[in-house]
Amino acid sequence: MKPVKILLLCLSLAFLAACSKDDDLGNIEDIPGLGGDTWAKSPLDQWLYDTLTKPYNIAVKYKWDQFEFELGKTLVPPKEEKVIPVMSAIKQVWINTYIAEAGEIFFKQYSPKFFILSGSASWNANGTITLGTAEGGRKVVLYLLNEFRTKNMPGYEPRDSATVKQMFHVIEHEFGHILHQNVMYPQEYRRITAGLYTGNWNNISDYEARRDGFVTAYAMSGYDDDFVEMISIMLTEGRGGFDVIVNSIPPGASINGTSQADAQARLRKKEAMVVDYFKTVWKIDFYSLQSRTRKEIVKLLY
Amino acid sequence: MKRYLLYFLLIVAAFSACKKEDDPIFDKSPDERLNETLAKYQQAMVNAPYGWKLLVYPSGVPNSVFSFYCRFNDANRVTMFSDFDAATSVELKESSYRLKALQQPALLFDTYSYIHLLCDPDGSVNGGAYGLGLSSDFEFSLDGIAGDSILLTGRLHNSKAYMVKATQQEQEAYTSLQRNRAFENIARFLTYFKRITVSGTQYEIKANIYAHTITFSWKDANGSTQEVQVGFYYTPTGIALSPAFTDGATTIASLDGIAWNQNTQTLKGNAGSSSFTISGFARPLSVDSTAAQRWWQQGLDQEYWVSLYGFHVNGVEDAYQVTTLPDYYFMGYWPKFGTSGGSPYDLLGFVTQTGDQQPALSYGPAFNPAFKTDGRVTFTYLGDLGTYPPETAPIAKTISKLIDANGFYLVQTGPKRYDMVSARDGKAWITWER
Repeated sequence: MKPVKILLLCLSLAFLAACSKDDDLGNIEDIPGLGGDTWAKSPLDQWLYDTLTKPYNIAVKYKWDQFEFELGKTLVPPKEEKVIPVMSAIKQVWINTYIAEAGEIFFKQYSPKFFILSGSASWNANGTITLGTAEGGRKVVLYLLNEFRTKNMPGYEPRDSATVKQMFHVIEHEFGHILHQNVMYPQEYRRITAGLYTGNWNNISDYEARRDGFVTAYAMSGYDDDFVEMISIMLTEGRGGFDVIVNSIPPGASINGTSQADAQARLRKKEAMVVDYFKTVWKIDFYSLQSRTRKEIVKLLY
Repeated sequence: MKRYLLYFLLIVAAFSACKKEDDPIFDKSPDERLNETLAKYQQAMVNAPYGWKLLVYPSGVPNSVFSFYCRFNDANRVTMFSDFDAATSVELKESSYRLKALQQPALLFDTYSYIHLLCDPDGSVNGGAYGLGLSSDFEFSLDGIAGDSILLTGRLHNSKAYMVKATQQEQEAYTSLQRNRAFENIARFLTYFKRITVSGTQYEIKANIYAHTITFSWKDANGSTQEVQVGFYYTPTGIALSPAFTDGATTIASLDGIAWNQNTQTLKGNAGSSSFTISGFARPLSVDSTAAQRWWQQGLDQEYWVSLYGFHVNGVEDAYQVTTLPDYYFMGYWPKFGTSGGSPYDLLGFVTQTGDQQPALSYGPAFNPAFKTDGRVTFTYLGDLGTYPPETAPIAKTISKLIDANGFYLVQTGPKRYDMVSARDGKAWITWER
């Protein structure tokens, strides 16, 4: 028995050690798609690089990549001729105005770095459409580029202004989130319309929401969205436009029993807190930023 | 214990003795093969001397097909024409494309081009559903090269598509803007029923110029009705059918040199080596003799039928202008709406909607239908319900059309859709749907 056992022991050790375990991976220098998509650069790519990527480290993806969107949604890529008008409008209305008020360092530090463009709107199962989404303070998805028309473009109709304003609304909204995620707004803000926030906001019209002291229905979805909706609407509508919104609240009580005076006072209180937040935290004169932003929008649309 | 050790060593020896080489079935790594495949397609696409004909079959529209003429260059640019409409067929559009390794090697038309018109989720662009379009695709997996063709399958909606190398002659026809879209005039026939005559044989055809489909129907040797739907796309000289229509010895693959004659109401040209004529007819080639009763019964089961625009007469949609009636919402047909003096009657009801109120059935004439053995239905006018608006001409004209003694043929065009065609001359019809 003993020699057999020793032989077996030796054999198994030898077998274990003997064979080659090389797993040839082949040439791994050239894996397709590693490092992102590549294509021959066109003048449009160059324009985006010179205008946004080089100065502000902002990338713009206009070529189709399904994985940047909700999978399963039917969407189409943008028309190439729409990319420059949209991005230069964004530069005028959003980038230039913030830089003028707060400086380049501030903008470069906090701006979202990744814009994804879709040609069509994103249709939802309930028949509504989504015109913009954002993720993680980094990525902003803009929809309906193919319908983007400003007053200097052929075929412009007054109703096109809604699409254009919505685009700025999304960007200002998301940028607002980035700001308060870096430095929080005062807790007191959350108490202005306490108890009226609801997950049912999408069944409420802006008109009804305003009677309770919210600037839009979406603002009712939570404190943070309330805060950034205020920033966004005040910037895109301008000071005069915001006054119109406040003054449009009719007499009488809302469904929730808010009186006209209360609703208006709440919106004014929110306005004051936003202005104060920009002043103390970011050293930005909000009203000056507002008039610059609105002036650029007016230039594009009216 | 010793014995266990022995067995253990034996097992170790047995398992470790096997060959551990990882012998790949392929002689190259997946990445290398992927790169080779992409390069192979890229070369094939760029190197086709006369460009490509691309056919796309949107998955949302059965049998539908659209054609494109494309040229790809090696800088990710593609130029194309499309037969989507008259404008896209003559305006060259440049956009971008790229080949990408997704789950399979894939061809992406990655900025908006004519291909995307079929996919656009805005239904007003292509007549499709909102949120879906025609359920077509612009991202295709490359399924293989077969001879002069590249087979494609849509990645989102599974639309089929393929590209065929164009010939020099085809390229010249496309670049010199030679086009023949005369087939579109099929929509200008005054009669509902149209027949194509090819080498002595007649087929009834129904074309949908938006969906790019043609339905052929005929009576076979046994006297039973046959029906086949095929897609069509425009070529520089006319239209091509995809797949070709075949009935025994007769095959129609394309209609070329098509010309429209408004006066004689005919479309003429060549189908292969023989000539063809499409002309209008007052009655169907094969009458669906139970259609009228089915229509009436289905209307009863679902309570009523809806017509949004009333009668189409002599080429005029809503010829009696029912949509101009105050607060008009739709016109409906209620079989067995009520009884009068013990006998039931049907109602042609007008539904109105005022302001933000609920729509309401407001007024309308009552009829008695009679079903003929030859498949026709006639209507007898009984009287009126409700109060008519001051301007009654639309209602009066509709009534007088409906009581035409020649009656109507019913043609089923969908599970919940019928066309009711005047048997007098085939030039008046109304669509009932739910």
